[in-house]
Amino acid sequence: MTILAVSNLSKSFGGLHALSDVSFTVAQGEIVGLIGPNGAGKSTLFSTLMGLHRPNGGAVELAGRPVAGRKPHVIAAMGMTKTFQNVSLFTESSVLDNVLIGGLLHSGVAEARAEAMACLRRVGLTDIADRAAGSLSFPERARVEVARALCTRPKLLLLDEVMAALNTAEMDDLLGLIRQLRGEGLTLLVVEHHMRAIMSVCDRVLVLNFGKLIADGSPADIARDPDVVRAYLGREYAE
Amino acid sequence: MKRARNLLVAGAGLALALILPMAVDANGYAVRVLTLVLLFAAMAQAWNIVGGLASQMSLGHAAFFGLGAYTSTLLLIHFGLSPWIGMIASALVGGAAAFALSLPTMRLKGHYFALATLAFAEVFRVAANAWSSLTGGPVGLSIPYGEPSFLMMQFQDTRSYYYLALSAFAVVTVVFAAIKFSSLGYRLRAIRENQAAAEVVGVQTTKVKIQAAVISGCLTAALGTIYAQLNFFFDPDSVFAALQISIRVALITIVGGIGTVVGPLVGAVFIIPLEELTNVLFADKAAGLSQLVYGLLLIVIVLIQPRGLAALVGSALARRPKTSGAGT
Repeated sequence: MTILAVSNLSKSFGGLHALSDVSFTVAQGEIVGLIGPNGAGKSTLFSTLMGLHRPNGGAVELAGRPVAGRKPHVIAAMGMTKTFQNVSLFTESSVLDNVLIGGLLHSGVAEARAEAMACLRRVGLTDIADRAAGSLSFPERARVEVARALCTRPKLLLLDEVMAALNTAEMDDLLGLIRQLRGEGLTLLVVEHHMRAIMSVCDRVLVLNFGKLIADGSPADIARDPDVVRAYLGREYAE
Repeated sequence: MKRARNLLVAGAGLALALILPMAVDANGYAVRVLTLVLLFAAMAQAWNIVGGLASQMSLGHAAFFGLGAYTSTLLLIHFGLSPWIGMIASALVGGAAAFALSLPTMRLKGHYFALATLAFAEVFRVAANAWSSLTGGPVGLSIPYGEPSFLMMQFQDTRSYYYLALSAFAVVTVVFAAIKFSSLGYRLRAIRENQAAAEVVGVQTTKVKIQAAVISGCLTAALGTIYAQLNFFFDPDSVFAALQISIRVALITIVGGIGTVVGPLVGAVFIIPLEELTNVLFADKAAGLSQLVYGLLLIVIVLIQPRGLAALVGSALARRPKTSGAGT
């Protein structure tokens, strides 16, 4: 079953075409990677899908319902949310209060707090629930972002470079979490620069370059695709 | 533990506030200053909903305050309506004005929001001065004298107004605390810290900001009614004043501790008597000297503790008793 269908999505800022006619689908339960050089439009694509930017053209359907042009909170209520590239926690609030905000989408404060605790348990952070979010390490922050997103009860989660600034061991932990979430029924669309991470966790990979989708296939196919190698991976990756 | 201690402190404070006016002359200067302290603490608390929780630096709250004073007083003069009912009408007018103001200013931040709100209140000041047939213009309005009665919110002694102001402060503080710890409070804080992050996890930014603005506007306007009844007389330049109302309530909250429950009271307890004191001590020495001393003292406070006096008191309390172990 298709959970996300994007067709001919375009977004330009002034004369800059950040996204041109991007079309792809994501099936229920998939982990799909999204890669591309800096400035390729990955974050713009996420922001446009989430309604933070208004698309100039094209359509987006979430579980069969049109979402293009709707407000972010409406899209969140329909079951899609995202994390931010430069982790954007509410730094003055506690970890629990950060996650609780997501729960307020469908519950009162008391219920949202209980659900936030459950989400922290899912990401393995129950012991730091009372710490100020501003005092956390990078891997902890990434997990809090994920927990906050989970607390909205999403069907589809867009992860924007949650692994930036993580070392190999921390990255492996987070990859384990991503697999675990998929096991729990979540569908994930993941922007990442670490090729090893993308190749190991994704069922399928999309490649953006200058706002255009230049490849869509299995990690193995993507690694061999000459266009992708030229645009992004570099020569040594093909060998 | 912390909650119990806070309730204990609040209870002790309330008891003190109830007894305090008994110790002074029922119509004297002291009780009048105390009444103003509580009235301004209440106004600052209402401002705190927008300025503290939503972190929008409104410099236009005089608009709601003045509308409240005029609404209930005009209803009293022309229809003999009890100011208690007039206060409800004032709150509705203040809420409507806050709603109207928040539509165009919603997306403004920082200085731009401050300037837009400042201008909004100035419009009312100029209009109230010009529209003499309705407002009496620069001459102002007087509360018609009558037999003192609770029904007409007119009392024999200043002490009764003190208790009125105390009740108003208690009500506004309960509303503020209820918002702060409700879903609305969480949403406001989320928007303040990161609007885009709040939106993608389902916070309706527009709705939440309007809610906060309207509640704040309603409360401020209701306090305008109490001010009118207390003062018996007001004119456009006193109730729509940028410096004496809008900036003063912002200042009280900031000096006391913005976004905190106790900040507005701490700020008002400090600032209102300080204004009076510098006036008494320096007013006859040289023109402007009292304002100069007052201004210098404020600068010193902000330099010593930018998070406000409440934080200063809080850290002093935290340093003293070591009984409860490592707190949060």
